[in-house]
Amino acid sequence: MWVFLIRRMLNTIPILLGVSLVTFFLMSMAPGGYLDTLSQNPQVSPETIARLKAQYNLDKPWYVQYFAWLKSAVRLDFGYSVQYQIAVTDLIGGRVWNTFVLSACAFVLAWLVAVPLGILAAVKRGSFVDRGSSVVAFAGLSIPEVLSALLALMFAAATKDSLGLPIGGAQSSLYDFMSPGDQFIDRVKHLILPVLVLASVEMAAIMRQMRSNLLDTLNAEYVTAARARGGGEFTVIVKHAVRTAINPLLTLLGYSLARLLSGAFIVENVMAWPGLGRLTMEAFFAKDYYLVVTTVVMAAGLLVVGNFIADVLLAWSDPRIRMEGKRS
Amino acid sequence: MALLEIDSLELEFGKGEDLVRAVDGVSLSIEEGETVCLVGESGSGKSVTALSIARLVPTPPARYPGGEILLEGKDVLKMSKRELRAIRGGVVSYVFQEPSAALNPVYRVGNQIMESLKLHRPKKANKNEVIRLLKLVGIPAPEARIRDYPHQMSGGMQQRVMIAMALASEPKLLIADEPTTALDVTIQAQILELLKELKERLSMSILFITHNLGIVGEIADRLHVMYRGKIVEAASAEEVLDKPKHPYTRALLECVPSLDKDVDRLAMIPEPEARGPEWD
Repeated sequence: MWVFLIRRMLNTIPILLGVSLVTFFLMSMAPGGYLDTLSQNPQVSPETIARLKAQYNLDKPWYVQYFAWLKSAVRLDFGYSVQYQIAVTDLIGGRVWNTFVLSACAFVLAWLVAVPLGILAAVKRGSFVDRGSSVVAFAGLSIPEVLSALLALMFAAATKDSLGLPIGGAQSSLYDFMSPGDQFIDRVKHLILPVLVLASVEMAAIMRQMRSNLLDTLNAEYVTAARARGGGEFTVIVKHAVRTAINPLLTLLGYSLARLLSGAFIVENVMAWPGLGRLTMEAFFAKDYYLVVTTVVMAAGLLVVGNFIADVLLAWSDPRIRMEGKRS
Repeated sequence: MALLEIDSLELEFGKGEDLVRAVDGVSLSIEEGETVCLVGESGSGKSVTALSIARLVPTPPARYPGGEILLEGKDVLKMSKRELRAIRGGVVSYVFQEPSAALNPVYRVGNQIMESLKLHRPKKANKNEVIRLLKLVGIPAPEARIRDYPHQMSGGMQQRVMIAMALASEPKLLIADEPTTALDVTIQAQILELLKELKERLSMSILFITHNLGIVGEIADRLHVMYRGKIVEAASAEEVLDKPKHPYTRALLECVPSLDKDVDRLAMIPEPEARGPEWD
């Protein structure tokens, strides 16, 4: 198990290196830069531009920039944002946290609802619950997040007087003047709609997957064998069918995090959620090199960590994977 | 009174034009301590007949329009869920064709045998009893094997575990549904030998399902040949093997390869179109 963990952890390093390298290269290929915009400003002297260029290594080829960035990045110093004029680290801390909170809540909600619903739909195949949840799932899968996010905003606006849900954003304008308890409630209120939007697609996907996995394992011979031993229906379903149906779902968990993250990018932009996604978009448009690379690497990092967790869970859950290459 | 008495059992799937009568008036009985073979090709209805004995065919989609299955004098088709759970394992145990599919891949074999013990002999549900059972079915070093997962064992070992699991509840009738089909020939012989020996030691009855007439003579007291949902021949094993009456039985017997004759191609059961009127 330890060998598995360490090997898997070492695997993540080349991934992160590759992602940062490709991002740097692509950014250098794109025409123009932040300083070009700045140089159009008559109040900024050419000397200032030259000084900034030298300061941020922008006068050197992209690979020199990359290695300089990499050298400081391993010490967790991700360079400066040319646009905001502060360290990237200071800028993204809160943003990463916001994206993490949004994705994590959507993730937990999606799995908590989808797994039991999938089980119920498979066990009561063809029933009202099965058909009803299928219809809802297909709706959830077919409506793109851009649209459902807009619909959620319209819903919040329409029900402003009755429900009082905030229309976008992550906190009220009076947030800083609230008591800690009210601050918490305010944040939760702002979370509700983005989380629902983000979770809906995920929920549908997991639910369908859980249902079809369980339908497979319910027909497995070891389930018949467990029933033939005289086990009660509940034990047979939970201990034998559901337990093995979970394994393929754990593989899905890694993808699930990836989808949530890219979904979060969209939802954040539509619903004005101050997370990594919005920051990345803004940085892209402003050609804020170091900020772009860092946010992309951060997003890749979240993804890699998600996949890593999924792999560890799968190994923990499935002895055949845990013992790969080992036979007694 | 016979241990098991199936009387003109009928089993159907589907309806209207898709109606399939998988079991069509099957009668068969098994006395205590007897080994009965049920022989037939794929789709002849032998497996669903065997699964019906503990009501393991899901209803729906299946239906039982007629007949009865008397197990120790009680009709299985009329039993409540609670009664069914008591006879499953308690009176009848199953060994299936594919041991690798019939063992749950995520639980250690000891755990799976223990499950059977807990259900039917809770007082004996301990490690020592599991080890004794594994020893009984001839697994070497059972103290270590108890912590193995199914995928760490060979097919033959897995089938021995299945048998140990079936025996854990001390059943009166062991139903072995093609228990050797998925195994290679030497292991087949070992498993057959084991079943014969266990039957004597534990004085159980066995219902042995196969499509290989070559192994029937080895193990069976009596033999039933099933064809298209019906029993077409029933007699003592020697009688059927020496003087087969039904053309299907004769065809099956011709399929058993012989060491004396040198043939280029093995015999096959004729295609349905090539079967004459005497088949029905």
